[in-house]
Amino acid sequence: MNDFVDAFRFIGDHVPLLWSLTLDHLALTGAAMAIAVAIALPLGVWLGHLHRGSFAAINISNVGRALPSLALISIGVALLGIGFVNVMVALVVLAVPPMLTNAYVAVDGVDRDAVEAAKGMGMTPLEVLLRVELPLALPLIFAGVRTAVVYVIATATLGSVAGASSLGDIIVDQATYRLPGVLGAAICVAALALVAELLFAGLQRAVTPRGLRARRRVGAAVGPATTTET
Amino acid sequence: MTAALAAPFAQSDPVIPEFGRGSSCVRDNGLFCWGWVKDNWSDTLQPALLEHIALTLIAVLIGSLIAFALALAAHKRGWMATPVVVVTGFLYTIPSLALFQLLVPITGLTRTTAEIALVSYTLLILFRNMLAGLSGVPAEVRDAALGMGMTERQLLWKVELPLALPAIVAGLRIATVTVISLATVAVFVVNEGLGAPIYSALQQTFKTELIAAGALCVALALVADGLLVLVQRALSPWTRTARP
Amino acid sequence: MLAGEVTPTQKGRLNVKQGTLRMLLGALAALLLAFGLAACGDDDSGGSTAGSTSGSETTASMPGEGKPPITLGTKNFPEQFVLGELYKQGLEARGFTVNLKENIGSTEIADRALRSGQIDMYPEYIGIFNSTVAGNTRSFADAAAAFAAGKAYAERHGFTLLPLTPFENVDALAVTTEYADRHGLRSVADLTKVRGFRLGGAPEFRERPTGLPGLARGYGITDVRFSPLTIGLQYQAIDNGKIDVAQVFTTDGQLVDGRYVVLTDPKKIFGIQNVTPVVSSRVLQAEGPGFEETVDAVSRVLTTEAMQRMNAAVAIDKQDPAAVARQYLEANGLL
Repeated sequence: MNDFVDAFRFIGDHVPLLWSLTLDHLALTGAAMAIAVAIALPLGVWLGHLHRGSFAAINISNVGRALPSLALISIGVALLGIGFVNVMVALVVLAVPPMLTNAYVAVDGVDRDAVEAAKGMGMTPLEVLLRVELPLALPLIFAGVRTAVVYVIATATLGSVAGASSLGDIIVDQATYRLPGVLGAAICVAALALVAELLFAGLQRAVTPRGLRARRRVGAAVGPATTTET
Repeated sequence: MTAALAAPFAQSDPVIPEFGRGSSCVRDNGLFCWGWVKDNWSDTLQPALLEHIALTLIAVLIGSLIAFALALAAHKRGWMATPVVVVTGFLYTIPSLALFQLLVPITGLTRTTAEIALVSYTLLILFRNMLAGLSGVPAEVRDAALGMGMTERQLLWKVELPLALPAIVAGLRIATVTVISLATVAVFVVNEGLGAPIYSALQQTFKTELIAAGALCVALALVADGLLVLVQRALSPWTRTARP
Repeated sequence: MLAGEVTPTQKGRLNVKQGTLRMLLGALAALLLAFGLAACGDDDSGGSTAGSTSGSETTASMPGEGKPPITLGTKNFPEQFVLGELYKQGLEARGFTVNLKENIGSTEIADRALRSGQIDMYPEYIGIFNSTVAGNTRSFADAAAAFAAGKAYAERHGFTLLPLTPFENVDALAVTTEYADRHGLRSVADLTKVRGFRLGGAPEFRERPTGLPGLARGYGITDVRFSPLTIGLQYQAIDNGKIDVAQVFTTDGQLVDGRYVVLTDPKKIFGIQNVTPVVSSRVLQAEGPGFEETVDAVSRVLTTEAMQRMNAAVAIDKQDPAAVARQYLEANGLL
């Protein structure tokens, strides 16, 4: 209990350090998410639109979720050396699967009637995708992004052992910062993850077409149980 | 003994045996030196792998028992669900590195410390899935069973649990791969598991060991996941054909 | 029909499901029991699975027989792993039971682990003991003085320092053999002969008292161009001609080949860093008189050259520290 109080005192005493490391942490997270989104969303949406590759798209998140993070970072260091890049690459590998699967399931699962109606109205496939499938799929796509962001924030902590600066630097260095420091930095990471979760939950709600919002609570469970957020 | 320096070796300088040179692949830190892996398999990699499996199995089994007990209790007394989810959820958000270090002053640099932390991470997943599985039994089924004269206990063991198995195994699957991943971080507490060669290799940036240990860990996770998928399929044949 | 509705025929299927359930639970319980026993069994006696024998002769005169197990910790770099294995196997050969906790962390963590009883002993460098653990930053004329100061502190705090090893793992400056010959360099003092030489070292070397300031104060060396680099890469840098002088450690494996000359430090500005096994006094007593003798027998054979070769085997040739330690102890009749 004492350490808990000391942890908050530590946070109070070390605001500049924590702020700087938080920015580093966010930089790592942001870079990894940007690349992962650029890979996962277009691919997932496209496959879902074509209703192709379901086996791979659905199972990649199962495989991806199983990948041990430190082991990936370890292989990353061997291939790319110590530093920001290799940790970022490992984080991309971990972030892509849930987003890819969610994007696929989201677009693939759009109500066929709506799609038929749009085609009947004379829309080209691209227009169908952009004006009908995507808006209806956005909530689930965002759910995937939300899962990935929280996971990446938590895993970025490990990057400190591989030369990527983050809040994990304090957690790894118990010698210098002692237990209040470790606990304080851990609280910061948890807070960061919570903020991200709330932010993306809000975004998810914002992009849900109004008509779907009531149904969303039921529909959010759509997809195999394997895409449950960890 | 008051002498500061250990007395010099009595007869002559000590004998320094030939330790043998590593292959040029290893000396130049080549990407993957198969020779090193073969030579160090039984000393370093295999023991680490077995320790990792042991750490995982113990954590998942103990976590299952605790989560199971909690889920049964929460199934009976619905109000328990929220507090349990809050506590286990809180444990789940603590970064693993931090939780391990926080436990060390209490339980020491031992396997116990590592297991306590690993078990904590399984509780949220297992509890939620077990409870969801139990609650997911349709009311009509429960009524029919009770109508047939079953006691509450028979209802639980003969009807609810079997029907909850798929969800329970799904939770086991997630918990197991989570533990396999987190057990690598246990190296900060006890030098066991695949985290040990990974960490030691990171300190020296020894590529072969990084890849060997990392790949072993990934393989272990995928194999465990695959096995549990088979168990999941075997227990719920009706889901095999259904696809959303 | 709803999936799961209980009909007579489905009840049959449920019985199968129930049978499977029972079987699974039974298997789970059996596995738990097995691993529980295994875990409880090893937790106290063993994080280490090194294949060392506890003595080839089990005569009743083995000093370690019947003594309580001792937990030996090591810090987080290869030389420490080697030292840990050397002491562990040396002790086990004389009947002691050693629980090795390898790679527990930095000096501060090892010290805290010792004070809180999580480990009973670990090998420390006397200079680091004095400066980091005892908070005493005086410089000492020789190893005996450093040892005496450290021992006094230790005994006031419940530990004992066992006698020092012949080798020390201390910071030093090294140059290639041909650079040394070209400029006639044998000691750090000779560096004043070379104008504006390029020195590469750890970033903290620039500011810390035992770094550039120490060179200036002790030898009057001020004309130097310093480049910070990651420790581990300094040999590459000197080989590639990026620096002339590198900060090294006297037991680095790279020094075995004779390609580099380590400059002597007569004024001892880099300190004194022989190794002393730090042991909890209470545990030392409990282990009996044979304990210190056994540890000392190992310490005695650890010369600088021996450590360089062992470090080379472990850090450069990537051999297993346990195997290297075993070979060394066998060659010197200590196993």
